[in-house]
Amino acid sequence: MKPRVAFFDFTGCEGCQLDALNLEPDELLGLLGAVDIVNFREVRTDRSDEYDIAFIEGSITRESEIARLKEIRERAAVLVALGACACTGGINCMKNAYETEELLKGVYGDCAAYYDTIPTRPADAVVKVDAYIRGCPPTTTEFVKVVKSLLLGKKADLPNYPVCTECRRAGNICVFQRGGTCIGPVTRAGCDALCVSAGRFCWGCRGLVDDPNLDSEKDILARYGLTIDQILEHFRIYNSCTEATQCQK
Amino acid sequence: MPENSVLIVDADPGARETAVWLKGSGFRVASAATGEEALNLIDNQDFSVMLLDLRLPGKHGLGVLREARVKRPWMQTIVTTDHPSVESATEALRQGAVDYLVKPVSPQDMATLLKDTIKSAARQRPAAIQIKAKAAPTKLVPQASFVISRDSLKRMVDTLAGEREAIGVVARQGKYVYDRVEGFEDVTLDYDVTVNPPTAFLIPTCETILKYRMGHSPEITPITDTTPRVLIGVHPDDINAINLLDEVFMTNNPDPNYTARRENTLIIGVDVITPQPASFAPSMGAHTAETGYDLLLTDIGNAGYMVTVGSETGAETLARLAQVREPTPAETARQKQLRDEALSKYRLFLDMPRDKIPNLLETNYDNPYWLARSEACLNCGSCIMVCPTCFCFDVQDDVSLNMVDGERIRKPDGCMLVDFSRVAAGANFRGDKLSRFRHRMYHKGKYILDRYGKYGCVGCGRCSITCLAEIASPLEAYNAIAASEKTRDKARRTVTNTRPQPELYLPHLATIEKVTPLSPREKLFEFRLNDGNKLGHRPGQFVEVYVFGIGESPISLTSSPTRDHTFEVAVRNVGNVTGALHRLEPGATVGIRGPFGNGFPLEEMEGKDILFIAGGIGIFPLRSLIQYVLDRRDAYGHINLLFGARSPAERVFADDMQEWSQAPDVTFLETVDRSDDSWTGNVGVITTLIPKVQFDPRNTVAIVVGPPIMYRFVINELKKRDLADDNIIVSLERKMKCGVGKCGNCQINNVYVCQEGPVFPMTRLRTLREAI
Repeated sequence: MKPRVAFFDFTGCEGCQLDALNLEPDELLGLLGAVDIVNFREVRTDRSDEYDIAFIEGSITRESEIARLKEIRERAAVLVALGACACTGGINCMKNAYETEELLKGVYGDCAAYYDTIPTRPADAVVKVDAYIRGCPPTTTEFVKVVKSLLLGKKADLPNYPVCTECRRAGNICVFQRGGTCIGPVTRAGCDALCVSAGRFCWGCRGLVDDPNLDSEKDILARYGLTIDQILEHFRIYNSCTEATQCQK
Repeated sequence: MPENSVLIVDADPGARETAVWLKGSGFRVASAATGEEALNLIDNQDFSVMLLDLRLPGKHGLGVLREARVKRPWMQTIVTTDHPSVESATEALRQGAVDYLVKPVSPQDMATLLKDTIKSAARQRPAAIQIKAKAAPTKLVPQASFVISRDSLKRMVDTLAGEREAIGVVARQGKYVYDRVEGFEDVTLDYDVTVNPPTAFLIPTCETILKYRMGHSPEITPITDTTPRVLIGVHPDDINAINLLDEVFMTNNPDPNYTARRENTLIIGVDVITPQPASFAPSMGAHTAETGYDLLLTDIGNAGYMVTVGSETGAETLARLAQVREPTPAETARQKQLRDEALSKYRLFLDMPRDKIPNLLETNYDNPYWLARSEACLNCGSCIMVCPTCFCFDVQDDVSLNMVDGERIRKPDGCMLVDFSRVAAGANFRGDKLSRFRHRMYHKGKYILDRYGKYGCVGCGRCSITCLAEIASPLEAYNAIAASEKTRDKARRTVTNTRPQPELYLPHLATIEKVTPLSPREKLFEFRLNDGNKLGHRPGQFVEVYVFGIGESPISLTSSPTRDHTFEVAVRNVGNVTGALHRLEPGATVGIRGPFGNGFPLEEMEGKDILFIAGGIGIFPLRSLIQYVLDRRDAYGHINLLFGARSPAERVFADDMQEWSQAPDVTFLETVDRSDDSWTGNVGVITTLIPKVQFDPRNTVAIVVGPPIMYRFVINELKKRDLADDNIIVSLERKMKCGVGKCGNCQINNVYVCQEGPVFPMTRLRTLREAI
């Protein structure tokens, strides 16, 4: 019997699910041949609570989401965090830099009391996560790679080195050499330096590498003219939930 | 060869009539109505000029032109047509036509044009013929230089770009990069340095080395890239880097993938006019190149370029596609002057002759500089990714979603990345910034030199340009270290076979005969090669076991070659490959590469007493040697066998141990670190067993295999018993990925554990820091 796969969305834009559907036609057909998709709001209405692999998309921002995630964890043999929000909290984490009360009032004014919200956290702050597919959104190649690894019963061979490695492999001219700044030197690779290759800079959407040299990165950003606030702003876009960044507040 | 001989190729009889007119003007003329007819004539007869119409029955004019250029490189071709187009004109010139005429052309004009063409061809001809004459007897043309005009160079490059994948230097965002080019117009020849090295096209960022199809009898197909390529505008420092890569990949286990790519790559070098300020190529002796290019250009101004021939292929290319002449003495002087001027523009220098670097490093291993500078390292890998001499790689397995087809790919990897030396159970032999940073500097200045006879740095400056932490420059590091000098050990460098072995990365198929559980985490696998051959290993060697779709893992051989036609490996389940292997059952097929490594020194051990010391799964590789020694019992003296396990539950091979303890003239002692109710034997770490055995230190060889932590303590204990380093032999673990001394993952300093190890005498390790 083919593994049954379910997708679940929490707080986020749901772009990661769309991106999973954005596979090349033969890859998509290959995927549909290898697994049974039993729960996927973006593509089908019928649902099943019987599944082996659960993909979790979005971050956890409400008490009710904690309970729902725990229930999914109970049912799934393998739980995969899909995308930046599920893996690291994503841009939703930016709100963690503010007091919750103040934030609710700022956004919803008089209606603030109707909204249930808690500081944002990634899936693994609530339950055990078996695999991560990082990025905002993840690349389809990495999505396929992780799925294949799960089907083969192996740990996916994903990079634990900074984006710079892939950026140099891609033959890109360094953002710093072009007069910009970038947090690629501490951000986990795996995207083939997509944003820099397209002429932008690295936003850090895949989270930090295991042992980031944040001191050195901050020195470099400062040497290239950024103030401490600007540096933190840079880091906070995607990495407000990480301990390493929080302690700098 | 007949002078003034003309071949007219035209389907139109009227056009062929031109022959009559031309004969009157002193030409010898032949004509052909079809391309095939023309090519037949060219086969048997030489012509000065061919007048070629594009519209022919059968083969198109451009096709005739292409083939004619190969058959008679010297023949000048003028294309004529009454259906002119920009496309056909460009293509004709790209294919090497000297002119493109729109009909009609008056016979008088035609005669004048032909005379001029023949005259200019004759002027250029002698020099070019000379190249051919020189090329024939020896493999390399000795540095002959000629002058090539810009136009002729353009035509040559454009033609090459039509025939091959062309890679050249192009300007981008104020910097320069190597990229695909369509022709000469795209290429920059005056640049300081490129962001990416040209070697990225010899060791690509992602390369398939084999494809497979799983199933009952898996099929494996080796993949090599033989695309003809030309690299245009390579600086001498990068040419020197390519020379190093040739040494690494084309001697000692020649690499089929690199060799195929290299042999199909034409290299057109160019002298540096304006060096990059970060470059220190002259200090590394790399600002000029003697070999490694096919052609080397020097821009000498209005006259065009000086072109130096570096290879037979270079000579042939020039003869086929270019018009060159002998340089005048003034032009030769100009070339030298330009080179001297370029040399005077370099700003960074080593403070010592470069042959002092290895000694400097030898005596400064503990210099505080390494720690201080490495603090800022981001582990970002930029320095090694832009380096033209870095060649280490990683190999990964990629299976299709059909779970049947797959491929093995390799991509650049290297010592500055955190996981490069991490082994299966999580130990990392270069786990801190200091050791990675220092390793790279030693690699560039010493280890590669020791191993390949060439420095691992050509002074291009790319690493220091790209390093945001500003710590990557080897020049700065070497200059910063003040040092006394000592004589260094010259590492033995032996070059054996030099033909690539296509099967180097191809596993042999093997079937699992038997699986025996040893412990909850460990199993013993018995394999038989599907081709019926014996593995032919020595005790102490290892094989790469490949589970299709998962990957490869180095595993020590556990059985003696004296025992059976099959071979055994014992495997602890710690990672992807070992986990997948544990899920397989008898009858399943795996891939086996090897045996690799040097094995135990069986001959040197003969006649001596032997002290075996095995900690934990160190017994796995040692079992092959114990079996071997017991099977050839008369060749060896008394045997002491000490075995330590963490707990009684982790003891393995109990039946074997029973057998060993009862063998003649064997003392067998066993201990566990932590006891339980079932255990009545010794308790304590393995070092506590050593005082309990008797041996004569002058005639005993100790073989020690166990976890890294064990070595230091056991060796200290053996030294207390007066055992000399010569008589202590260990087997080391490292991340062995390719098994053939190429990928670099397993290296300790300049030693590749997969080739020179995993078995080492302690005498060797004394000079090998980072080993234990």
